[in-house]
This record gives sequence, C-alpha cells and structure tokens, in this order.
Amino acid sequence: MIKLSPKLSQKLSYLILFLATILAVIPVALIVFIIVKNGVSALTWEFLTSMPKDGMRGGGILPAILGTLSIVMSAIFLTLPIGVCAAIYLNEYAKDNLLTRIIKLAIVNLAGVPSVVYGLLGLGIFVMFLKLGVSIIAGALTLSIMELPVVITTARGALNSVPYSFREASLSLGVSRWQTIRYIVLPNALPGILTGAILSIARISGETAPILFTAAAFYIPYLPHSIFDQVMTLPYHLYIISTQIPNMPKNVIFATALVLLMIVLTMSVLAIIARIYFRKYRKW
Amino acid sequence: MVDKIKVENLNCYYNKQCVLESLNINIAQNEILSIIGPANSGKTTFLRALNRMNDLDANYSRKGKIYLDDDNIFYMNMENLRRRIGMLFAMPIPLPMSIYENIVYAPKRLGLISNKSEQDVIVEQALKDVSLWDEVKGRLNSSAMKISGGQQQRLCIARILAINPEVILFDEPCSGLDPISTAKVEESIIELKRKYTIVLVTNNVKQASRVSDKTAFFLMGKLIEIDKTGKLFVSPQEKQTEDYITGRFG
Repeated sequence: MIKLSPKLSQKLSYLILFLATILAVIPVALIVFIIVKNGVSALTWEFLTSMPKDGMRGGGILPAILGTLSIVMSAIFLTLPIGVCAAIYLNEYAKDNLLTRIIKLAIVNLAGVPSVVYGLLGLGIFVMFLKLGVSIIAGALTLSIMELPVVITTARGALNSVPYSFREASLSLGVSRWQTIRYIVLPNALPGILTGAILSIARISGETAPILFTAAAFYIPYLPHSIFDQVMTLPYHLYIISTQIPNMPKNVIFATALVLLMIVLTMSVLAIIARIYFRKYRKW
Repeated sequence: MVDKIKVENLNCYYNKQCVLESLNINIAQNEILSIIGPANSGKTTFLRALNRMNDLDANYSRKGKIYLDDDNIFYMNMENLRRRIGMLFAMPIPLPMSIYENIVYAPKRLGLISNKSEQDVIVEQALKDVSLWDEVKGRLNSSAMKISGGQQQRLCIARILAINPEVILFDEPCSGLDPISTAKVEESIIELKRKYTIVLVTNNVKQASRVSDKTAFFLMGKLIEIDKTGKLFVSPQEKQTEDYITGRFG
C-alpha cells in the first residue's frame, strides 16, 4: 500500500470528487448541444403550428404538441387534488398504526413500479374495462396514477416544512384542527406543493410507455375535439419518426426532440422561478 | 376565594413512563400561581395538561380529573376548552401574517366577530392591554415576524386576550427575552390578574416571587410544596424547596 502525504491525498480526493461532479454535467450539456445543433434548422413557427404532411416527413407537429399538453394538463388536474388530500391526511391526521404504515409502504412501492406496467394497467382498466377507449382521458388517468405517489411525497414535504409550532399556536387559541390546516398550514405549504406540481408536469411530459397503449396514435389528420379522442403525442411521435418512417429528415427528428426538451425545461425553469418568488415572500 | 381549577389525582405518562404523579392542586379565581422547579420536574407537562395540548401527542396518556368551574375538562370539547384556557409558549410564536391578522385570526375562526369595525376595536383593545399599541399602531399591517422578540411575545399575549379566555397559562414566557422585555411582559402578567386566572411556569425563581400570589414547587414529577408566595420564599416547609430557592441545586 502506497502511503500518500496528507497534502497529496487531500488534493487527490478533491480532484476525484470534482471530476465525479463534472461527469454529471457533461451528459446534460451534450444532450442539449447535440439536439439544438441538429434540430434548430427545422424549428420554425410553421413547424410548431401546422399539421404533418408527406407521411410525417414534412409539415409540423402541432397535433403532437397539443396532444401531449392536453394529456399532461388533464393528468395533473386529476392527480393534484387527490395527492394533496392524501398528503394532508397522512401528515396531519393519520395515527402511526399498521394501516398508516401499509399506506406509506404502498406509496413508496407505487413510485417504484416501471412505467410500462402503468401502461398495461391503464390499458386493462381505463381503455378496456371502463371502455374509455384509447383516449386523452385514459392516458391522463394512467399518468395521474403514476404521478400520484410523487405528488403525495412532495406535498407531504411541503406540509412538513411548515413549523409545528404554528399548528400548536393556532390550536392553543381554540381554533379547530381543520381550520388550522385550512388557514395556517395549507397557505404556507402551497408554494412547495405548486413547485412540486410543476416539476411533476415536466416529468410526465416525456413519459412514453404509460400513454403508448392508452392515448397515443400513430397519425391523426385532425386535432382532438374532446377528451375521448385519441391523440398524437410528442414522445410517441418522436419514437415513430425516428424508427418507423423511412427517409425521415434528420433535422425534423431533432427539432421534435428539441420541442419536447423545451417543454420540460420551461417547466423546470418555471418551478425555479416560483421557488425564488415564494422564498422572497415567505414570512418566517 | 372560588376555585377556578381543581386538579384531582392527576397522573401523566409519556411512553408509559410516569412524568407527573398523583397531583392535587386548586387554583383560585384571579390568582397568579407560579410553578417552579428544575428541568424535568413536570412543570410544562402540568401546564399542557390543563388545556389538553398534551393530548395531541400520541405517546402521552393520563389518569385523574381536572375541573374548570366544576366541569371535567376531559369531557369538554377541546376547542371550547382552549378558548377558555389560553396558552403562551416559551418562544414567541407569531403566526406568519400581519400584526393585525395575528390578533383577529382566532376571533374570526371562532366566529366571535363579524365586521371590520369590531375587528379594529378588538385589535386596539388587545394591544393596549399589553402596552404594545403605541409601539406598533403605525404598522399594524406589517409582518408580525419582523418585530422584536419581546414585542412578539406581548403580541402573542394580545392574541390570547382577543378571544377573551378565563384562564391564561404561561410557559416560561420570558426564557428568550432580555431583562427590559422581561420586565414589560411581567408587567402585563400582573396587569392581567384583575381579569384572568393565571398559571405561570418559570425557571426564574425571582420572577415567581415578583409576580405570583401562590407558588408551587415541583420536583421529579411530584408536587413538593405549595403555599402563598410570601410564605414559601421566606419559610419553606420542605428542605428540598429551601435548597432550590436558595440556589443550592437545580
């Protein structure tokens, strides 16, 4: 065993730790760089706002953008209220007993289920059993189930970050438990809950497997009219044009990826801005 | 004098461990009772038993009876009980809202007030009662988190007065305050005696002798001695009490 001087080992360990950190940055930078470099030439206003043409090789990706946005927004609309209610129950009311522990365990495990399994579940329950068909609503329900544990966990974190002493102060004044939650805990946890919700939107925007069997269509020549319509979606469209269409222009593929990336990054930036904004106005 | 609170054979447990043993205390109307004793003597547990804050803790259990005006508090609705027995915590805990909203928060939630002019009256009266009005009247709408610790603690007292309780519990209310703020809070406490029954837990033996009518000495979860403050400090009956108040231990 070589014995290093303390000074040298200090420098060496610093170097290793620093390089490991850099390693985490490189892929992100590369992804952004490659996609922008190859895709930016095809990214025009027309590309964003028109229907596909010539067997997807030309035209735009408007239906896919709208499809993804409508599924994701419906999903978060469904999952946020349920997730917040569950988080309030678990954090503010549930006693530490067997049932609570089972619920918590289920939530943790729900978060670990592979997304393609959610897709199959959605196919079985929403598409076939409830006869919703392959549709926006079936896809949104599937995504909302998938996102529920994440929403619950982030909402619980936000509720927990409200100091316990505020609850005590409110209760000691004879204010009921629910009113304390409604008027003290929730308003102060809201920033954290919203930030978590925005990040959830970013996360599920890129999901492919859960909507593969439940919502996504290969090609639809019109825009969706209702939540029971099948739609094109960005991740699935990207998969199709990169593997199923011969002679697909490269820059269109990358431009599609760029649009998807931009949606996700916009959401993340929004979350960061929201966090900074709320932190500035936080009163404690 | 009439007894406002009667405690009969109260036993309190945390995780099945007894922290307060067969306690019997009567607290007279409009009296200030001080509770002194070293750490872990059960003072705060006793205080939090009176407004049932302890009952929020899943590890806590109790036996015995506590009467407020002849009603057993353990059969009372918790919100009603806490409306009648207000509590001031050791650290000032202003709610994260403006000074004004801090005071009207509870009356509003409890449905005690309806219109804005009633609110204004309550805020002004409560702040005057704790001599805070002159210091903050120009910035009632600024955050309660931004005023000094002593002012926050008096704001918290004002907040209790706004729901017009019958008893006020003070849990080491000056432990985080400088001497001048302490003096102001003590003034408020003595002032409040005319209208309210007061129980004051304190680590400061001198504070107990300054403000209270009666003093109780707790040790290791037991009431060792309770007497008129003048008498307890001059001629304590128990050796342990004497040792504690003369600073020989604790």
